[in-house]
Parts: sequence; C-alpha cells; structure tokens
Amino acid sequence: MRSNNMVAMILAGGRGTRLFELTSKVAKPAVNFGGKYRIIDFPLSNCANSDISTVGVLTQYESVLLNSYVAKDQYWGLDINDGGVYVLSPREKATEDFEVYQGTADAITQNIDFLDSIDPEYVLILSGDHIYKMNYAKMLGYHKMKGADATIAVLEVPMKEASRFGIMNTGEGDRILEFEEKPKEPKSNLASMGIYIFTYKKLRQYLLADAANTESRHDFGHDIIPTYLNDKMNLYAYRFKGYWKDVGTVDSLWEANMDLLNANNELDLADASWKIYTEDVNALPQYIGPDASVKNSYITEGCVVEGNVQNSVLGTNVKVAKGAKVIDSVIMPGTVIGENATITRCIVAENMVIPKGAKYGKKNSEHIELVAEKQEGK
Amino acid sequence: MNALGIINFEGDTAFIDGLGEYRPVPAVSFLGRYRIIDVILSNMTNSGINNVQVYCKEKPRNLIEHLGNGQRYNINSKRGKLQVLYGEKMFSSLVYNTDIANFELNMQYIQRDSNPYVLIAPSYFVYSLDFTDVMKKHLDTGADVTLLYTSTNEARTSFLGCDVVKLDSEKRVTSFEKNRGNNKNRLISLEAYLMKKSLFIDLVEKATKTSSLYWFKDILADSVEQLDIRGFQVRGYVACLNSLSEYYRNCMELKHPSVSALLFKPDWPIYTQTNDSCPTRFHDNGTAKDSVIANGCVIEGTVDGSILGRNVRIGEGAVVKNCIILEDAVIGKDVYLENVVVDKYAQVKNIDRLTSYEPTPIYVKRLDRI
Repeated sequence: MRSNNMVAMILAGGRGTRLFELTSKVAKPAVNFGGKYRIIDFPLSNCANSDISTVGVLTQYESVLLNSYVAKDQYWGLDINDGGVYVLSPREKATEDFEVYQGTADAITQNIDFLDSIDPEYVLILSGDHIYKMNYAKMLGYHKMKGADATIAVLEVPMKEASRFGIMNTGEGDRILEFEEKPKEPKSNLASMGIYIFTYKKLRQYLLADAANTESRHDFGHDIIPTYLNDKMNLYAYRFKGYWKDVGTVDSLWEANMDLLNANNELDLADASWKIYTEDVNALPQYIGPDASVKNSYITEGCVVEGNVQNSVLGTNVKVAKGAKVIDSVIMPGTVIGENATITRCIVAENMVIPKGAKYGKKNSEHIELVAEKQEGK
Repeated sequence: MNALGIINFEGDTAFIDGLGEYRPVPAVSFLGRYRIIDVILSNMTNSGINNVQVYCKEKPRNLIEHLGNGQRYNINSKRGKLQVLYGEKMFSSLVYNTDIANFELNMQYIQRDSNPYVLIAPSYFVYSLDFTDVMKKHLDTGADVTLLYTSTNEARTSFLGCDVVKLDSEKRVTSFEKNRGNNKNRLISLEAYLMKKSLFIDLVEKATKTSSLYWFKDILADSVEQLDIRGFQVRGYVACLNSLSEYYRNCMELKHPSVSALLFKPDWPIYTQTNDSCPTRFHDNGTAKDSVIANGCVIEGTVDGSILGRNVRIGEGAVVKNCIILEDAVIGKDVYLENVVVDKYAQVKNIDRLTSYEPTPIYVKRLDRI
C-alpha cells in the first residue's frame, strides 16, 4: 500500500540519566517496559499502525543494542518494499567534520540528505521515550485540514502540574500563539508531547537557517518553534486524549508499569486493533508452579513462577524461586529471584541474579528502589 | 546439510479426535503457543536443512498461514525454500490420498531440488534431534536407508498403530510390524528416514506400481530384504501425538519445566509464529497453579494443572482443572471444567460443570457456545 507521504523521525539519542544504571549499557528508548516491550516499540508500532512506512531512528548514546534492535524492521511489520527503518547515527561527511547531534533540531538537520532522498511532503518528529498509543494519520489529517506549517500534539494536564511542561498558549481554533517552556505561571494547560508534524519544505528552510545561527541551541522547543511563531507561521495544537507517560525516572517507569495492572487502564495493550509489536523472543509460555501464588500481576512468556507474586510485572524469562516474594515490583527480563528472597517496591534490572534470602525495598518507601549492577565510580 | 527435508503427513493411525476435524495434526495447537509441526521443522532448520517440503493431506489453509515463507523458522528467504504441497487433485476416495500419491503428484519439485539426499519425517512424533548426527551415521554405515527409532517400555498404551521394528546385532532392520499394544517393550519406528534422493524416487515409483493404496512405509517394509535399512536410536524425550488421549497425556506431562526442557533446549530452539499478544494479566482473584499459560490471557478465576493458549479468558469464579484451552476461548463466570479440551474461539458460559472421568478428555468444538 502506498503510504501517506510522511516520514517519521524518532529522536532516540537520549541518555536517560535519571534512570541511572538502567541506562548504563543501553539508551533510554531500549529500556524494557511492560514485561516484553522496549520503550521504542511504542512509537515504532504507532508508526506501523498509522500506515507510515519510512521511519528514521536517530540514535547516539550507547546505540549498539538499539541500532541492531530497530534495524529488524520486520518486528513491527515495517519491512516492506516501500519503506523500512533507517538507523541514523551521527557520521562523518565529506564536507564537514564528524559531529555528534547537538540538539533535537540538529539531529534532523544532519539528516537532511536522508530526508531529501525520500522527498516526503510531511515530517513527523517523535521522541523515543514515551509510552502511549496514537494514530499519527489522524494528526496528519488535522494538519492538512488546518493548512498548518506545523502541528504540535498536546495533552491537557492538571493546571497545577503545567509548570513542569512545555506549554502552548492557543487562540481561536487552537492556533498556537505562544510557547513557554516550564512557565512559573502557566496560562494554559496544553502540554507539548514532543510530537510534531512539519510540512517538510518549510522545515528544511528553517533548519538550514537555524544551523547557520551560532546563537541557537538547535532544539525544536527552544529554537525552531519560537522562530516559527515569530514569523507568524501557522502552528496548531492537536489535542490528544488518552494514555501518555514520560518514563524518565525510576518512579515514573515503575508507575507506568503499575498502570498495566489496572483492568481499566487506558493504554490497553490487549486491544487487537492497535497492537504494540516487539521482538519475538522464542520463549516457552509462562509456567506457574504447584506452590506458587500469583495475584494481580502482569506476566509474560518464559517466566517460571514457583514463589509468590503480587501486584507486579514480570519480564520475559524471569524466574521466581520457591518461597520468594515479589510485591509491588517490576522485574526486567532474564532476572532470577532466588529462594526466599523478598522484593518490595523495586525495579530489578535485566539479567540480575538475586541471591537466596536477599531483601530489597520497603513497603511504603517514598521512592522506588532500583536494583541493578552498580557501576564503577558510583 | 545437503538433504531436502520432507515433512510427511500422518496416516490413519494418527488422528486427534475433535481437534483433527478442523486442521491436520501438524497444525494442532501445542503447549499454548506452538503447533505440533514447529518441533520437526525446527529440528530440520536447526540442522541446516534449508529446503523443506511440507506435505499436507487436506485443509492446507491453516498450515500455510502458520508456516509463512519459513523465515520464522530461520529458513533463508533467498537461498532456502519452504513449500506446502498437497494433492492439488480430487481423490475419488480418501483411501487413495496416500503419501505416495502426493509425492508422485509433486515429483517434479522433488526432482528439481539439488540436494542429493532426502530426510523424510512426519510431525506427530516430537523430539529434539540434530539430523547432522544422523547423516554422519548414515555415511559411516553406508546404509541405503537410515531409520530413526525409539525404545519404549510403554508400548501397551502409547505408540499404538505405529511401526515396530526388529533389529539384528548390527542394527539392521529385519522386519516391520504394527504395534497393537500387546507387548510393553518395543522399538518404535519414528517413520523418519534418511536416504539418497535417487533411492527415494525409485521407491515411490515402485510403490505406485505395486498398489495405489500403498504408503511409503509399506514399500519400505516390502524392501526390507533388498535394502540395507539401519536403525538410528533417538535417545531422550520422544512423544507420539497420535490420538486425543495421547495428545492430552503428553501435553500434561510437558507442562512441567523439567520435562519441557528435554524438548525445548536453549541451544536448539523450537520456532513458531508470534502473534504479538501482550503479557497475561492476573486479576485480584485470578490464580494459577501447575499451569502453562500463553500470552494475552486474562485470568479472573482459578487455573489448575492446565494449559492455556493465547488470549484465553477465564471468568470470575471459574475453575479450570487439568484442561487444555486453545486460543481465544472464553470460560465464563463460575463455570467448572475438569479434564476438558476446549477448541479455539469456543465460549463455555451457560453450564455449571463439565467433567470427564475417563483418561480421554471431553472435547468442546471450535466456535462452540455452551
């Protein structure tokens, strides 16, 4: 099927320093979520489900795993003749020295040659570290209907939290009049989700002009959008309703996982009409042992549960040995919880071995404890 | 490995009641997320067999969908080939729909393949085996045909209708007979054979001339004196899924990880088709014990000693004990099921209790509503 003439560019270079050891070896978009997924499965599956066939993934930080992961475009059904997933890391060019991506806009500017080779009418800019389901085709329809130069997806957040976000102040017909990054006294509660649709020709001009500007930080929110606004371009806010979560901290990553335990959670990963696709790991179905007890939990393939699991999310191939207790926790793939160990309110990183009888975390703790291999120097 | 893989279809000695009415044995669901054919096909591709023909007696749609182009089994999409072949003609009577008739009808594809050897095996015997070891042995002994067999002491109740082989001291097959369950220790043929392709073609032609009711194993039995047929013993786990009760019994045994580890080995993976189901969600009152549960299930009741396929729903207060529930089936509120096999998409809602007291489970039909 011919696609909708929009290329998606996923910004996946983020390091995610507030996730600490979870991102010591992999970039944030490759961090595990919901038992069997990685965060970047969400934008990639959204693209596939929105009939976007060409997706560029801009990677930078610890990108070996991420690059090889997203290159397997068949996971998301993006391996069609007309498109595919393109891994775009910073690279040396004939005319310029090698430079890492300086900002979100610079990452796109450095790949103008790639975009030109595809020559799309529209470019969709996404971030690789949010959990949500969204039909970008509908957003493109809105962009076209408004005759916009740029459309920014926004979420209505509670007014008291608005100062944590980039806020769009809009006028008639949701035309964006002003953009304020983390305003002390917000005038609106429309928070930018970091999802932009640009009409490519115009964006190209602005990117090149921005690249030449030595004062610029080469960032969409900080530079490109304000310049568009200054020039009285047509910018519109696209109101998104539904589940959206930035999983930038250990606490928020844990919360997003816990949301899956709620039977009425808006994310609804069981919805067959908008599946989230991921790697097929070739594991046996889960086995729940004769003495096991499982309650209110989210458990995936390859798990072997012999102990007690309550209000928790278990990743692929997690083993919970006899007498072990996993309560209010997220266990990432490949981890083994030893006999009689107790894990409460924790995120346990991938491929850890928790020894027999060990205890981690506390009931009612203020923050979620991260159990991971400690890095040298920390 | 320079052999063409042929996955043969089952004769009338293998039929899984109920489940078998909707799909051939190879396409029957196995251990929650697999199909029976995944095991033999993965053995072949893991052994480096890159060209595989799957013969299908009837109802090929299901198999074609499941197998795809073979990529999910690691068959190289350019160098390798996976074909699903069937008679492509009407047989005036089902008894004429033999493996020989199908080989004959598709002979051009067998001849065109460039591999000098063929490895034939049906899918209803499940085991984990590196066929390159069989090839080594075949070349060592210089046999005409190498035949796989297993040694069992359960031949009274299992492997019924299968071929029993007798071997001499050099492991040469001296006779074939049917297992009628009158002896507990038997050597059972796995109906898997390795031989030169030219010999295979000769045997198919000979069979065609002898009788139009002949199966490949019949012509092999006829040739036991002229050919050097050597046994190769498959050690370790071997199960034969040739009836509903044997299917049920073997699946129940395979539930436990210590048993399934004999068939599903980390360095010898069994591949299958993914369907991107999300993980399984246990509700507050949903519990499970001694059970194998595929992804996408929603469990609000009690699951005990059972196998659940993908996207199965177990309602509040429902109890599912020693059951096999296939994909997308729904077990309603407060229903009690014991020793039941529930086929795909069935909805069991309007009864209180369904229990089988026999070794053979009760079977609930595909799409059925009860």
